[in-house]
Amino acid sequence: MSITSLVDYLKARKTEYITGAMEVTLSAITGFFIAGIILQSMGYNALSIFNIMITGGVSDLSHLAGKSAPLVMTGLAFSIPLMAGVFNIGGESQLYMGALAGLVGTYYSGNILIGLVLGFLAGAFWGWLMAALRVYRGINEVITAIMLNWTAYYFIIYLIIKYLPNPEKPYMSIQLPQSEMLSMNTTFLLSVLGALAAYYIIYYTDLGYKMRVSGFNPKTAQYSGFDPSKSILFSMALGGGLAGFGGALLVIGVSSGIDTTMTSLYGLGFTGIGVGLLGRNHPIGIIFSSLFFADLIIGGQWVELETGAPPYVSDTIIGIIVIALSAPYAYKKLVELYRLRRR
Amino acid sequence: MTTPAIQMRGIEKVYPDGVKALDNVDFEALKGEIHGLLGENGAGKTTLMRILYGEIKPTRGEIIVSGEKTSFHGPWDAIRKGIGMVYQRFALVPTFTVAENLHLSYLSIKPQASMSESLDRAKQIMSETGLNFPFDAVVEDLPVGLQQRVEIVKALSRNARILILDEPTSVLTPIEVRELFKALRKLRDNGITIIFITHKLKEVIELADRITVLRKGKKVGALVNDNINPGILAEMMIGKSIKEIGEKRRSIGRKTLLKVEGLTVYDEHGIIKVDNLSFEIHSGEILGVAGVQGNGQRELADTIAGISNPSKGKILLGNKDITGLPPGERYKLGLGYIPESRGIGLIFDMSITENSMLTNLHLILSKGRRIQWSRAREISGEIVEELGVKTPSLDALVKYLSGGNQQKVMVGREIVREPDVIIVAEPTQGLDISAAGFIHSTLLELRNQGKGILLISSDLDEIYELSDRIAVMYEGKFIGTGTPEELTRDKIGVLMGGVRT
Repeated sequence: MSITSLVDYLKARKTEYITGAMEVTLSAITGFFIAGIILQSMGYNALSIFNIMITGGVSDLSHLAGKSAPLVMTGLAFSIPLMAGVFNIGGESQLYMGALAGLVGTYYSGNILIGLVLGFLAGAFWGWLMAALRVYRGINEVITAIMLNWTAYYFIIYLIIKYLPNPEKPYMSIQLPQSEMLSMNTTFLLSVLGALAAYYIIYYTDLGYKMRVSGFNPKTAQYSGFDPSKSILFSMALGGGLAGFGGALLVIGVSSGIDTTMTSLYGLGFTGIGVGLLGRNHPIGIIFSSLFFADLIIGGQWVELETGAPPYVSDTIIGIIVIALSAPYAYKKLVELYRLRRR
Repeated sequence: MTTPAIQMRGIEKVYPDGVKALDNVDFEALKGEIHGLLGENGAGKTTLMRILYGEIKPTRGEIIVSGEKTSFHGPWDAIRKGIGMVYQRFALVPTFTVAENLHLSYLSIKPQASMSESLDRAKQIMSETGLNFPFDAVVEDLPVGLQQRVEIVKALSRNARILILDEPTSVLTPIEVRELFKALRKLRDNGITIIFITHKLKEVIELADRITVLRKGKKVGALVNDNINPGILAEMMIGKSIKEIGEKRRSIGRKTLLKVEGLTVYDEHGIIKVDNLSFEIHSGEILGVAGVQGNGQRELADTIAGISNPSKGKILLGNKDITGLPPGERYKLGLGYIPESRGIGLIFDMSITENSMLTNLHLILSKGRRIQWSRAREISGEIVEELGVKTPSLDALVKYLSGGNQQKVMVGREIVREPDVIIVAEPTQGLDISAAGFIHSTLLELRNQGKGILLISSDLDEIYELSDRIAVMYEGKFIGTGTPEELTRDKIGVLMGGVRT
């Protein structure tokens, strides 16, 4: 796109951008206000806790980067299928599968690239499977995802204990040696590249265009000669693949292995839902929203250290702020999707 | 004379957007009669009956049931007054069994009833009416005809003395229609009042005791069904011709652009929608397909475009057999399709440029399947300029355009790739006169360029204004064809009602 056409584009979308910005500002104020009231009524100093939460994460940038990388991916894993009109609640287990494949692939081949590719493929397969059950068997994808999330969870714990035990640490799987790991900054860079690739696929290829049309209205897609089922399969495979890639990044960049209680992986997929909604379903927005999320999560741990407040306090605050920020957008999307399915 | 079962006086309904759906309509149905409520799509038949059923409130007017003035807050009030309604789309829980559905509805008038009590009541109705169906079947597994019987028995078991049926035959096979009519006559003989909403002349004449005709929200008249001439009814329904037939037509080209042979299409319920249809469209010709909506026009258009599959028949575009090809391939080969609804032909939340790509994607993709946005903007710019779409920018979302401008985007998109054959469905529905006029002159210009156009419209004025040949579609068949001079308004009206002359 040339500069003049970009200016045209921005002008044409002016109202949407202005209302969007206002919506975010108002939501942020509301969120912090409600959280503040709760903190004060619990006897904490709200302002100092907000201060710790927001500055805490930024104090160590490479930690922030490492925390953000998988969130960028699970955010995309939620948002891309949503564009095709599918709810991907399965980012959680798609990330698990990617983490496992990334670990095994890198460990046995000694090649990080192989681990990353296998991580993508494992997540893609898992996402595709959920979509296939919807497309070919008519099973609601949310139910499938919830069940397959647990299937993957126990499957991986079983594999780790039975086939990939760590002789030195009984609570851990085999671990990657330092030489087969990437720095946290690099994993973040790779996640940004992943988001840019997703952006390209969504807005510059026929696959992405067909997917967006199907998401807005499957009947229009059929009229135009696009198969909405194919778009669902594609979007879930791509989203799942990215979540899997995120899982592999996590193992290769941060955790080096998977613990037998899955603590290092648990929740990242679900957080991705918030990341995707907060990023307004846009790959570039998702990069920033995952940084924001990672900042709050790390800051929340600092709150615990510095004030002795239990972790639930910061979790509550994060929850309120995220709900306030994503609620208006999530509501609109839900209404749209509901209307589509009723037709 | 006894008091009528239903009297509605001076009913007026104005919607918040200013559309007047009903204008000072009087309606009267006697006890123990079958009363046909006849009119075209949008004449206000269903609106009037939904008012009677308490589902919507009239802006003005009064409702008198068995001599007693009433006002309904909702259908539950109407049900208590003994009014029951069976919609085109049934109000049954599809995953429940028939027995569970009957019980559920019976509970609404008798909350303490046991299951066996509900079923006894239903059995009693079934033996009185002869409407039979299995109790233990799951509703969604039953054929529509049986589901409809369940609906009727459901209404009657709630003590309905007045039964409203909204286009009850539209989903039925001919055998099921015969069975339904038999049951309805029996109900009438038992003293039930039946109001039968329809646009099918043949059916009202066969079934109704008296007929009320609505047109464009107004009552045209009420008459006793005694040797009525279908032509008179048709004229009441459609109105006298307003416009003279347009200027002399050009001679029709010799070249056949589209040939349809023995096309047969069933819908997902297995009901035949297009019935062994054959026709041709030549260069420089507009073939107008008239008919009441829902007689297979949409299925015909969808099948020619490749969106639905025929179970039999062939479609030839030029000399090429396109029967098995997907829509995208057909568009590439020179077919344009302007669908009847802008909700299907456009994505409101996408920009003009993105909407211009829907059926022109093959012109915009590079070899590597990359979207060439500059090419896309060229095409959308061309559409905006050619058709005079009023918009601040090519990137404006389509939802912010007026209906007329949206239609122009859709029409422009289908003609910009210069197809030989264009299917146009209801091209001016909901448009103001100037926008409609522009679309009409665009279509005539395309014809004069030698394109072949299949025009599907339920607006007879439009059919007469544009068509070189007219075909009247009824229940999946062309029940009559001819030039506009041969097919007068009266003839078309009768044909639209399914009566062959």
